[in-house]
Amino acid sequence: MKGLLLLLRKYNYVLVFILLEAMAIIMLSNNNRYQHSILINANREIAGTLFEAVEGAREYMKMGATNKILVEENTRLRNRIQALDEQLGDTVVNPSQVGDYFFFPAEIVHSTLHKQFNYLTINKGRRQGVASDMGVIGPQGIVGIVLESSENYATVIPVINRDFRLSVKISKNDFVGVLSWEGMSHRIASLNEIPFHADVAIGDSVVTSGYSAVFPEGLYVGNVKEVEQQEGNFYTIRVQLGTDFQKLFHVNVINNFNREEQVELEASLKQ
Amino acid sequence: MIRLLARNIIRFFILILVQVLLLDNVLLGGYLNPYFYVLFILLMPFETPRWLLLVAGFLLGLSMDIFTNTLGMQTAATVLMAFMRPWVLSMFAPRDGYEPETYPRIHYYGLGWFAGYAVILTFLHHLVLFYVEVFHFQYFFTTLLRVILSTALTTSTIILSQFFIFRK
Repeated sequence: MKGLLLLLRKYNYVLVFILLEAMAIIMLSNNNRYQHSILINANREIAGTLFEAVEGAREYMKMGATNKILVEENTRLRNRIQALDEQLGDTVVNPSQVGDYFFFPAEIVHSTLHKQFNYLTINKGRRQGVASDMGVIGPQGIVGIVLESSENYATVIPVINRDFRLSVKISKNDFVGVLSWEGMSHRIASLNEIPFHADVAIGDSVVTSGYSAVFPEGLYVGNVKEVEQQEGNFYTIRVQLGTDFQKLFHVNVINNFNREEQVELEASLKQ
Repeated sequence: MIRLLARNIIRFFILILVQVLLLDNVLLGGYLNPYFYVLFILLMPFETPRWLLLVAGFLLGLSMDIFTNTLGMQTAATVLMAFMRPWVLSMFAPRDGYEPETYPRIHYYGLGWFAGYAVILTFLHHLVLFYVEVFHFQYFFTTLLRVILSTALTTSTIILSQFFIFRK
Protein backbone atom coordinates (compact mmCIF):
# COMPACT_ATOMS: atom_id res chain seq x y z
CA MET A 1 0.00 0.00 0.00
CA LYS A 2 2.79 2.37 0.97
CA GLY A 3 4.68 1.36 -2.14
CA LEU A 4 1.65 2.12 -4.25
CA LEU A 5 1.29 5.56 -2.71
CA LEU A 6 4.96 6.28 -3.30
CA LEU A 7 4.57 5.17 -6.90
CA LEU A 8 1.56 7.42 -7.29
CA ARG A 9 3.45 10.35 -5.83
CA LYS A 10 6.36 9.79 -8.10
CA TYR A 11 4.30 9.41 -11.23
CA ASN A 12 1.35 11.65 -10.49
CA TYR A 13 2.27 13.77 -13.50
CA VAL A 14 1.41 10.80 -15.71
CA LEU A 15 -2.10 10.89 -14.27
CA VAL A 16 -2.25 14.63 -14.87
CA PHE A 17 -1.11 14.00 -18.43
CA ILE A 18 -3.74 11.33 -19.08
CA LEU A 19 -6.44 13.50 -17.54
CA LEU A 20 -5.57 16.60 -19.58
CA GLU A 21 -5.11 14.64 -22.80
CA ALA A 22 -8.47 12.93 -22.24
CA MET A 23 -10.08 16.32 -21.73
CA ALA A 24 -8.56 17.50 -25.01
CA ILE A 25 -9.92 14.48 -26.86
CA ILE A 26 -13.37 14.89 -25.32
CA MET A 27 -13.41 18.54 -26.37
CA LEU A 28 -12.18 17.52 -29.79
CA SER A 29 -14.95 15.00 -30.17
CA ASN A 30 -17.68 17.24 -28.85
CA ASN A 31 -16.85 20.30 -30.87
CA ASN A 32 -15.54 19.09 -34.18
CA ARG A 33 -18.12 17.25 -36.26
CA TYR A 34 -15.70 15.45 -38.52
CA GLN A 35 -13.55 14.00 -35.74
CA HIS A 36 -16.72 13.16 -33.84
CA SER A 37 -18.19 11.08 -36.64
CA ILE A 38 -14.94 9.16 -37.09
CA LEU A 39 -14.62 8.41 -33.37
CA ILE A 40 -18.22 7.22 -33.27
CA ASN A 41 -17.71 5.02 -36.31
CA ALA A 42 -14.52 3.51 -34.91
CA ASN A 43 -16.36 2.88 -31.67
CA ARG A 44 -19.22 1.23 -33.56
CA GLU A 45 -16.82 -1.11 -35.37
CA ILE A 46 -15.05 -2.14 -32.16
CA ALA A 47 -18.19 -2.41 -30.05
CA GLY A 48 -20.00 -4.18 -32.90
CA THR A 49 -17.36 -6.90 -33.10
CA LEU A 50 -17.44 -7.36 -29.34
CA PHE A 51 -21.22 -7.42 -29.08
CA GLU A 52 -21.50 -9.84 -31.97
CA ALA A 53 -19.49 -12.40 -30.00
CA VAL A 54 -21.65 -11.99 -26.90
CA GLU A 55 -24.88 -11.89 -28.86
CA GLY A 56 -23.98 -15.22 -30.45
CA ALA A 57 -24.32 -16.90 -27.05
CA ARG A 58 -27.54 -15.06 -26.21
CA GLU A 59 -29.03 -15.97 -29.55
CA TYR A 60 -28.22 -19.63 -29.00
CA MET A 61 -30.05 -19.59 -25.67
CA LYS A 62 -33.16 -18.06 -27.16
CA MET A 63 -33.12 -20.08 -30.34
CA GLY A 64 -36.38 -21.79 -29.50
CA ALA A 65 -38.35 -18.57 -29.19
CA THR A 66 -36.70 -17.12 -32.29
CA ASN A 67 -37.53 -20.19 -34.31
CA LYS A 68 -41.14 -20.00 -33.28
CA ILE A 69 -41.40 -16.38 -34.36
CA LEU A 70 -39.77 -17.13 -37.70
CA VAL A 71 -42.04 -20.12 -38.33
CA GLU A 72 -45.09 -17.97 -37.61
CA GLU A 73 -43.83 -15.36 -40.04
CA ASN A 74 -43.22 -18.04 -42.65
CA THR A 75 -46.75 -19.35 -42.27
CA ARG A 76 -48.17 -15.88 -42.64
CA LEU A 77 -46.10 -15.23 -45.74
CA ARG A 78 -47.04 -18.62 -47.27
CA ASN A 79 -50.71 -17.85 -46.80
CA ARG A 80 -50.19 -14.49 -48.41
CA ILE A 81 -48.35 -15.96 -51.36
CA GLN A 82 -51.15 -18.49 -51.79
CA ALA A 83 -53.73 -15.72 -51.80
CA LEU A 84 -51.73 -13.59 -54.21
CA ASP A 85 -51.10 -16.57 -56.48
CA GLU A 86 -54.80 -17.21 -56.73
CA GLN A 87 -55.37 -13.59 -57.66
CA LEU A 88 -52.60 -13.58 -60.23
CA GLY A 89 -53.81 -16.70 -61.97
CA ASP A 90 -51.65 -17.45 -64.98
CA THR A 91 -50.06 -14.03 -65.36
CA VAL A 92 -46.27 -14.37 -65.61
CA VAL A 93 -44.34 -11.99 -63.37
CA ASN A 94 -40.74 -11.06 -64.06
CA PRO A 95 -39.20 -10.93 -60.61
CA SER A 96 -36.55 -8.37 -61.53
CA GLN A 97 -39.23 -5.84 -62.38
CA VAL A 98 -41.33 -6.26 -59.30
CA GLY A 99 -41.31 -3.63 -56.60
CA ASP A 100 -39.35 -0.58 -55.72
CA TYR A 101 -38.21 -2.18 -52.50
CA PHE A 102 -35.54 -4.74 -51.86
CA PHE A 103 -35.20 -6.59 -48.53
CA PHE A 104 -31.96 -8.02 -47.24
CA PRO A 105 -31.24 -9.83 -43.98
CA ALA A 106 -29.27 -8.60 -40.98
CA GLU A 107 -28.84 -9.60 -37.36
CA ILE A 108 -29.03 -7.45 -34.30
CA VAL A 109 -25.78 -7.59 -32.39
CA HIS A 110 -26.61 -5.12 -29.67
CA SER A 111 -29.66 -3.35 -28.39
CA THR A 112 -30.77 -1.26 -25.47
CA LEU A 113 -34.36 -1.49 -24.23
CA HIS A 114 -34.61 0.46 -21.03
CA LYS A 115 -33.35 3.87 -21.97
CA GLN A 116 -35.19 6.86 -23.32
CA PHE A 117 -33.06 6.95 -26.42
CA ASN A 118 -32.58 3.31 -27.31
CA TYR A 119 -30.45 2.19 -30.23
CA LEU A 120 -29.84 -1.09 -32.03
CA THR A 121 -26.68 -2.17 -33.77
CA ILE A 122 -26.99 -4.49 -36.76
CA ASN A 123 -24.20 -6.47 -38.37
CA LYS A 124 -24.54 -5.03 -41.86
CA GLY A 125 -22.95 -1.77 -42.85
CA ARG A 126 -21.94 0.41 -45.74
CA ARG A 127 -20.05 -2.41 -47.40
CA GLN A 128 -23.26 -4.47 -47.54
CA GLY A 129 -25.23 -1.51 -48.83
CA VAL A 130 -26.81 -0.21 -45.64
CA ALA A 131 -27.20 3.57 -45.63
CA SER A 132 -28.90 6.18 -43.47
CA ASP A 133 -32.71 6.36 -43.60
CA MET A 134 -33.31 2.78 -44.69
CA GLY A 135 -36.17 1.02 -42.94
CA VAL A 136 -35.66 -2.02 -40.74
CA ILE A 137 -38.36 -4.65 -40.25
CA GLY A 138 -38.52 -7.77 -38.11
CA PRO A 139 -40.65 -10.89 -38.32
CA GLN A 140 -43.31 -9.31 -36.08
CA GLY A 141 -43.48 -5.85 -37.62
CA ILE A 142 -41.44 -2.76 -38.22
CA VAL A 143 -38.35 -2.19 -36.08
CA GLY A 144 -36.83 1.18 -36.89
CA ILE A 145 -34.82 3.32 -39.23
CA VAL A 146 -31.08 3.22 -39.94
CA LEU A 147 -29.39 6.25 -38.42
CA GLU A 148 -25.81 5.85 -39.55
CA SER A 149 -23.67 3.09 -40.94
CA SER A 150 -19.97 2.36 -40.74
CA GLU A 151 -18.04 -0.26 -42.76
CA ASN A 152 -19.66 -3.39 -41.32
CA TYR A 153 -22.21 -2.20 -38.79
CA ALA A 154 -25.09 0.22 -38.64
CA THR A 155 -26.93 1.99 -35.85
CA VAL A 156 -30.71 1.82 -35.98
CA ILE A 157 -33.17 4.15 -34.25
CA PRO A 158 -35.90 1.74 -33.15
CA VAL A 159 -39.53 2.66 -32.58
CA ILE A 160 -38.65 2.71 -28.89
CA ASN A 161 -36.50 5.85 -29.11
CA ARG A 162 -37.97 9.21 -28.20
CA ASP A 163 -36.57 10.71 -31.39
CA PHE A 164 -38.47 8.22 -33.53
CA ARG A 165 -41.30 9.53 -35.74
CA LEU A 166 -43.11 7.63 -38.45
CA SER A 167 -46.19 8.24 -40.51
CA VAL A 168 -48.59 5.29 -40.03
CA LYS A 169 -52.27 4.63 -40.68
CA ILE A 170 -55.21 2.69 -39.34
CA SER A 171 -55.37 -0.23 -41.72
CA LYS A 172 -59.15 -0.45 -42.11
CA ASN A 173 -59.92 3.19 -42.97
CA ASP A 174 -56.59 4.74 -44.00
CA PHE A 175 -56.59 7.57 -41.45
CA VAL A 176 -53.00 8.69 -41.14
CA GLY A 177 -51.25 9.66 -37.91
CA VAL A 178 -47.80 9.93 -36.42
CA LEU A 179 -46.26 7.09 -34.44
CA SER A 180 -43.89 8.03 -31.64
CA TRP A 181 -42.73 6.62 -28.35
CA GLU A 182 -43.12 8.19 -24.96
CA GLY A 183 -40.47 6.30 -23.09
CA MET A 184 -42.69 3.98 -21.05
CA SER A 185 -42.94 0.30 -21.94
CA HIS A 186 -40.94 -1.14 -24.81
CA ARG A 187 -44.10 -2.82 -26.07
CA ILE A 188 -46.26 0.29 -26.36
CA ALA A 189 -46.02 3.34 -28.62
CA SER A 190 -48.39 6.25 -29.13
CA LEU A 191 -50.25 7.30 -32.22
CA ASN A 192 -51.26 10.93 -32.55
CA GLU A 193 -53.02 13.18 -35.05
CA ILE A 194 -55.88 10.78 -35.79
CA PRO A 195 -58.95 13.08 -35.95
CA PHE A 196 -62.07 12.56 -33.80
CA HIS A 197 -64.31 11.68 -36.71
CA ALA A 198 -62.21 8.65 -37.55
CA ASP A 199 -63.65 5.34 -36.48
CA VAL A 200 -61.05 3.72 -34.26
CA ALA A 201 -61.64 0.65 -32.15
CA ILE A 202 -59.46 -1.36 -29.83
CA GLY A 203 -57.74 -4.12 -31.76
CA ASP A 204 -57.55 -2.30 -35.10
CA SER A 205 -54.27 -2.93 -36.80
CA VAL A 206 -51.86 -0.11 -37.53
CA VAL A 207 -49.65 -0.27 -40.61
CA THR A 208 -47.11 1.96 -42.33
CA SER A 209 -48.59 4.65 -44.55
CA GLY A 210 -45.92 4.62 -47.22
CA TYR A 211 -45.82 8.42 -47.21
CA SER A 212 -42.17 8.56 -46.29
CA ALA A 213 -39.52 7.04 -48.50
CA VAL A 214 -38.45 4.70 -45.72
CA PHE A 215 -41.11 1.97 -45.60
CA PRO A 216 -43.43 0.65 -48.28
CA GLU A 217 -47.12 0.92 -47.55
CA GLY A 218 -48.93 -1.61 -45.39
CA LEU A 219 -46.21 -3.09 -43.19
CA TYR A 220 -47.54 -4.20 -39.85
CA VAL A 221 -46.75 -1.95 -36.88
CA GLY A 222 -49.08 -3.07 -34.10
CA ASN A 223 -52.62 -3.06 -32.75
CA VAL A 224 -54.66 -0.32 -31.12
CA LYS A 225 -54.63 -0.98 -27.40
CA GLU A 226 -56.25 2.10 -25.90
CA VAL A 227 -58.12 5.06 -27.35
CA GLU A 228 -58.31 8.27 -25.38
CA GLN A 229 -60.25 11.39 -26.25
CA GLN A 230 -58.36 14.34 -24.99
CA GLU A 231 -58.95 18.01 -25.58
CA GLY A 232 -58.40 19.23 -29.09
CA ASN A 233 -59.49 17.46 -32.20
CA PHE A 234 -57.34 14.40 -32.04
CA TYR A 235 -57.32 11.04 -30.34
CA THR A 236 -54.42 9.84 -28.26
CA ILE A 237 -54.00 6.22 -29.15
CA ARG A 238 -51.78 3.62 -27.53
CA VAL A 239 -50.45 1.01 -29.89
CA GLN A 240 -49.35 -2.42 -28.79
CA LEU A 241 -46.24 -2.90 -30.91
CA GLY A 242 -46.00 -6.07 -32.93
CA THR A 243 -42.26 -6.27 -32.45
CA ASP A 244 -41.02 -7.57 -29.13
CA PHE A 245 -37.61 -5.95 -28.99
CA GLN A 246 -36.51 -8.33 -26.30
CA LYS A 247 -36.82 -11.32 -28.60
CA LEU A 248 -35.60 -9.66 -31.75
CA PHE A 249 -32.58 -11.09 -33.55
CA HIS A 250 -33.24 -11.39 -37.26
CA VAL A 251 -34.32 -8.34 -39.18
CA ASN A 252 -34.58 -7.19 -42.77
CA VAL A 253 -33.20 -3.92 -44.04
CA ILE A 254 -35.36 -2.31 -46.71
CA ASN A 255 -33.73 -0.55 -49.60
CA ASN A 256 -36.05 1.71 -51.55
CA PHE A 257 -34.70 2.06 -55.06
CA ASN A 258 -36.64 5.25 -55.60
CA ARG A 259 -35.81 6.84 -52.28
CA GLU A 260 -33.34 9.36 -53.63
CA GLU A 261 -35.72 10.44 -56.32
CA GLN A 262 -38.57 10.86 -53.84
CA VAL A 263 -36.43 12.76 -51.33
CA GLU A 264 -35.09 15.04 -54.04
CA LEU A 265 -38.54 15.78 -55.34
CA GLU A 266 -39.87 16.54 -51.87
CA ALA A 267 -36.89 18.76 -51.12
CA SER A 268 -37.34 20.70 -54.35
CA LEU A 269 -41.01 21.29 -53.50
CA LYS A 270 -40.11 22.75 -50.12
CA GLN A 271 -37.95 25.46 -51.64
CA MET B 1 10.69 33.97 -8.13
CA ILE B 2 7.79 36.39 -8.50
CA ARG B 3 9.63 38.11 -11.33
CA LEU B 4 10.19 34.80 -13.07
CA LEU B 5 6.51 33.96 -12.77
CA ALA B 6 5.45 37.36 -14.04
CA ARG B 7 7.81 37.13 -16.99
CA ASN B 8 6.42 33.75 -17.95
CA ILE B 9 2.84 34.92 -17.67
CA ILE B 10 3.51 37.98 -19.80
CA ARG B 11 5.34 35.81 -22.33
CA PHE B 12 2.33 33.49 -22.42
CA PHE B 13 0.00 36.28 -23.46
CA ILE B 14 2.39 37.96 -25.86
CA LEU B 15 3.08 34.68 -27.67
CA ILE B 16 -0.62 33.97 -28.03
CA LEU B 17 -1.30 37.45 -29.37
CA VAL B 18 1.60 37.27 -31.83
CA GLN B 19 0.42 33.87 -33.00
CA VAL B 20 -3.23 34.78 -33.38
CA LEU B 21 -2.89 38.29 -34.75
CA LEU B 22 0.20 37.91 -36.86
CA LEU B 23 1.46 34.42 -37.59
CA ASP B 24 -1.87 32.71 -38.16
CA ASN B 25 -2.27 35.00 -41.14
CA VAL B 26 1.02 33.84 -42.60
CA LEU B 27 0.61 30.87 -44.89
CA LEU B 28 3.60 29.81 -46.90
CA GLY B 29 2.98 27.66 -49.96
CA GLY B 30 -0.68 27.21 -49.16
CA TYR B 31 -0.55 25.27 -45.94
CA LEU B 32 2.67 26.01 -44.09
CA ASN B 33 2.11 28.04 -40.99
CA PRO B 34 4.66 28.61 -38.20
CA TYR B 35 3.37 27.56 -34.78
CA PHE B 36 5.62 29.97 -32.95
CA TYR B 37 3.65 29.88 -29.69
CA VAL B 38 5.14 26.50 -28.70
CA LEU B 39 8.19 28.56 -27.74
CA PHE B 40 6.45 29.16 -24.43
CA ILE B 41 6.86 25.53 -23.41
CA LEU B 42 10.45 25.48 -24.61
CA LEU B 43 11.40 28.51 -22.52
CA MET B 44 9.86 27.49 -19.20
CA PRO B 45 12.51 27.20 -16.47
CA PHE B 46 14.27 23.86 -15.89
CA GLU B 47 12.90 23.58 -12.35
CA THR B 48 9.23 23.79 -13.39
CA PRO B 49 7.43 20.79 -11.85
CA ARG B 50 6.00 18.35 -14.36
CA TRP B 51 2.39 18.88 -13.42
CA LEU B 52 2.78 22.63 -13.88
CA LEU B 53 4.32 22.05 -17.31
CA LEU B 54 1.29 19.97 -18.23
CA VAL B 55 -1.22 22.49 -16.92
CA ALA B 56 0.62 25.32 -18.71
CA GLY B 57 0.65 23.27 -21.92
CA PHE B 58 -3.05 22.64 -21.54
CA LEU B 59 -3.88 26.31 -20.99
CA LEU B 60 -1.66 27.35 -23.88
CA GLY B 61 -3.29 24.91 -26.30
CA LEU B 62 -6.76 25.74 -25.03
CA SER B 63 -6.23 29.48 -25.52
CA MET B 64 -5.03 28.86 -29.05
CA ASP B 65 -7.97 26.53 -29.75
CA ILE B 66 -10.43 29.15 -28.60
CA PHE B 67 -9.06 31.58 -31.14
CA THR B 68 -8.91 29.10 -34.00
CA ASN B 69 -12.21 27.39 -33.17
CA THR B 70 -10.67 23.93 -33.07
CA LEU B 71 -11.38 23.06 -29.44
CA GLY B 72 -9.13 20.21 -28.31
CA MET B 73 -6.87 19.95 -31.34
CA GLN B 74 -3.96 22.13 -30.33
CA THR B 75 -4.57 21.28 -26.68
CA ALA B 76 -3.90 17.60 -27.36
CA ALA B 77 -0.64 18.57 -29.08
CA THR B 78 0.64 21.03 -26.48
CA VAL B 79 -0.17 18.70 -23.57
CA LEU B 80 1.81 15.93 -25.20
CA MET B 81 4.67 18.31 -25.88
CA ALA B 82 4.73 19.41 -22.24
CA PHE B 83 4.64 15.78 -21.16
CA MET B 84 7.64 14.89 -23.31
CA ARG B 85 9.75 17.93 -22.41
CA PRO B 86 11.48 16.46 -19.31
CA TRP B 87 12.63 13.41 -21.30
CA VAL B 88 13.94 15.47 -24.16
CA LEU B 89 15.74 17.71 -21.69
CA SER B 90 17.40 14.74 -20.01
CA MET B 91 18.32 13.38 -23.45
CA PHE B 92 20.24 16.53 -24.23
CA ALA B 93 21.55 17.14 -20.69
CA PRO B 94 25.20 18.13 -20.39
CA ARG B 95 27.43 15.77 -18.42
CA ASP B 96 26.96 17.54 -15.08
CA GLY B 97 23.31 18.33 -15.62
CA TYR B 98 21.73 21.72 -15.97
CA GLU B 99 23.16 24.38 -13.69
CA PRO B 100 20.96 26.42 -11.36
CA GLU B 101 20.26 29.99 -12.39
CA THR B 102 20.35 29.04 -16.06
CA TYR B 103 17.47 28.82 -18.54
CA PRO B 104 16.90 26.65 -21.59
CA ARG B 105 18.38 29.12 -24.07
CA ILE B 106 21.09 29.46 -26.67
CA HIS B 107 22.90 31.92 -24.43
CA TYR B 108 23.58 29.24 -21.81
CA TYR B 109 23.82 25.98 -23.70
CA GLY B 110 24.67 26.88 -27.28
CA LEU B 111 22.94 26.81 -30.63
CA GLY B 112 23.39 23.07 -31.26
CA TRP B 113 21.81 22.15 -27.96
CA PHE B 114 18.88 24.50 -28.38
CA ALA B 115 18.24 23.50 -31.99
CA GLY B 116 18.11 19.79 -31.11
CA TYR B 117 15.84 20.41 -28.14
CA ALA B 118 13.52 22.68 -30.10
CA VAL B 119 13.34 20.49 -33.22
CA ILE B 120 12.40 17.31 -31.36
CA LEU B 121 9.68 18.92 -29.22
CA THR B 122 8.27 20.96 -32.09
CA PHE B 123 8.22 17.87 -34.27
CA LEU B 124 6.25 15.96 -31.61
CA HIS B 125 3.82 18.84 -31.30
CA HIS B 126 3.28 19.12 -35.05
CA LEU B 127 3.01 15.36 -35.44
CA VAL B 128 0.09 15.20 -33.02
CA LEU B 129 -1.51 18.41 -34.26
CA PHE B 130 -1.48 17.56 -37.96
CA TYR B 131 -2.58 13.96 -37.60
CA VAL B 132 -5.37 14.92 -35.23
CA GLU B 133 -6.41 17.56 -37.73
CA VAL B 134 -6.74 15.16 -40.68
CA PHE B 135 -7.72 12.29 -38.34
CA HIS B 136 -7.01 9.42 -40.67
CA PHE B 137 -3.94 7.82 -42.18
CA GLN B 138 -5.14 7.94 -45.74
CA TYR B 139 -2.77 10.74 -46.68
CA PHE B 140 -0.07 9.51 -44.34
CA PHE B 141 2.91 10.78 -46.30
CA THR B 142 1.36 14.07 -47.35
CA THR B 143 0.64 14.76 -43.71
CA LEU B 144 4.13 13.64 -42.69
CA LEU B 145 5.60 16.01 -45.25
CA ARG B 146 3.51 18.83 -43.83
CA VAL B 147 4.72 17.94 -40.34
CA ILE B 148 8.36 18.00 -41.41
CA LEU B 149 8.14 21.22 -43.41
CA SER B 150 6.17 23.01 -40.70
CA THR B 151 8.63 21.81 -38.05
CA ALA B 152 11.46 23.30 -40.10
CA LEU B 153 9.57 26.56 -40.45
CA THR B 154 8.53 26.79 -36.80
CA THR B 155 11.95 25.93 -35.42
CA SER B 156 13.76 28.35 -37.70
CA THR B 157 11.41 31.11 -36.59
CA ILE B 158 12.00 30.13 -32.97
CA ILE B 159 15.79 30.00 -33.33
CA LEU B 160 15.86 33.35 -35.14
CA SER B 161 13.75 34.87 -32.37
CA GLN B 162 16.35 33.68 -29.87
CA PHE B 163 18.99 35.86 -31.51
CA PHE B 164 16.83 38.95 -31.71
CA ILE B 165 14.28 39.02 -28.91
CA PHE B 166 14.82 36.43 -26.20
CA ARG B 167 18.56 36.81 -25.91
CA LYS B 168 18.93 36.21 -22.19
